[in-house]
Amino acid sequence: MHTVALWILACARVFAQNPANTENGAGYVPIIAGGAGYIHNVTGGGPALQPQVDPVLLVPFGRRFLLESRTDFTGFFMRENFTSGPFKGRVFTDVEYAQLDWLADTHAIVVGGKYLLPFGLYNERLTPIWIRNLQDFPYTASIGTRTSGAGDGLMLRGVAAQTESMSVQYSAYFSAHCGINQLGSARTAGGDASVYFPRLRFEIGGSGQRFLEGHRINNGAAYISWQPLEGSMDVKGEYDYSFFGHGYWLEAAYKLDRASSHAALQKVQLVGRVEQVFPQHGGGNGLPHIENKRFDVGLNYYLKDNLRLVSSYGRNFSSAQNLNAWNAGITYRFTIPLWFGGTK
Amino acid sequence: MKIFALCACLLAIPLSLLAGPARQNLEPAGKASTRGTSTSQTDLGEKVFANNCSRCHAAPMSLSPRITGTVIMHMRTRARLSREDERVLLKFLVP
Repeated sequence: MHTVALWILACARVFAQNPANTENGAGYVPIIAGGAGYIHNVTGGGPALQPQVDPVLLVPFGRRFLLESRTDFTGFFMRENFTSGPFKGRVFTDVEYAQLDWLADTHAIVVGGKYLLPFGLYNERLTPIWIRNLQDFPYTASIGTRTSGAGDGLMLRGVAAQTESMSVQYSAYFSAHCGINQLGSARTAGGDASVYFPRLRFEIGGSGQRFLEGHRINNGAAYISWQPLEGSMDVKGEYDYSFFGHGYWLEAAYKLDRASSHAALQKVQLVGRVEQVFPQHGGGNGLPHIENKRFDVGLNYYLKDNLRLVSSYGRNFSSAQNLNAWNAGITYRFTIPLWFGGTK
Repeated sequence: MKIFALCACLLAIPLSLLAGPARQNLEPAGKASTRGTSTSQTDLGEKVFANNCSRCHAAPMSLSPRITGTVIMHMRTRARLSREDERVLLKFLVP
């Protein structure tokens, strides 16, 4: 295993030394990037400690091929008797994706291996701990990501058309069933397409998926993403549909860097989200079995652009019980070169 | 129902700030190094950088030239950027 890793890094080093690969002085050295954090969660009175590290290995081979992989190490520790007793739990390890990208053309990037399923906004874009504004996922984030959130096979993605005023982007994939440890996936086929209007900073898109094993079902999603005020504000919303249920979430975040003259206040981000989920056919498969409503409000503080304190409060409503959910913690984004040099 | 009306109001607060006073924008990673060599390519690169980063996360304030090529390759795949976007981004971040 170590020999293979060293061989990959050595090959990447050869490509990185090639002057043809370093136009503009940009370096193409292998790196480990990713996020880390610690979240203290209290849901329904039961505290849970959740440390997390998600390293992303990026190994370029020239300027057309990139090997990338992300592994998630998340600890989950709860009190033995829910609200009392010592904390007990374990660290879960998951290879979330391990893929080879061939940047073939402006219209086509070929991805092979284990890749994140491009469904809606969450799975591909918002799951990293250092990206998401609220640490709890929306209920409907599980739709379209069965069984592991990843697919094994091929994906084609890229820009279908681009002008100064708009950009049409797409992903299309086929995944085979795989039961190998850390490579698990279901037989699915699907795609995602979105139109982005750069002048408005507005994106609208949709995802579709056919689940092709067991009870064959269709999943769908429609989403919007809008960043007015040059990125200080972020509005996102999504509607998801599945055989097992449907629902929506709407989230708005505002960083006060443009609204306040105080340096400390400029680092504050306010977040709010509302969501509802309506199970069908008994729900399950990641969805609750009864109807749920929830709202969350959050307050994040950016110590640096890659280091922030996060906090949130949520209230969940259902016919079974109403719950409070508190989160407080810290998140960090890191980038570590694995080799010296790489520039002219 | 009242709770959701309250939440809708909370979500409307950021919208109301749209009319608030505008302040200087944070300077993205490659901005400082491109002063004095401003070109339309650089402006375009800055725009592509600001637009595409903020679609998912806060733009990084600094990025070492040593890793820029690798990071942009990753982001080209993840954010489905065009080859032209990749070229102007590299021009902007490592002029």
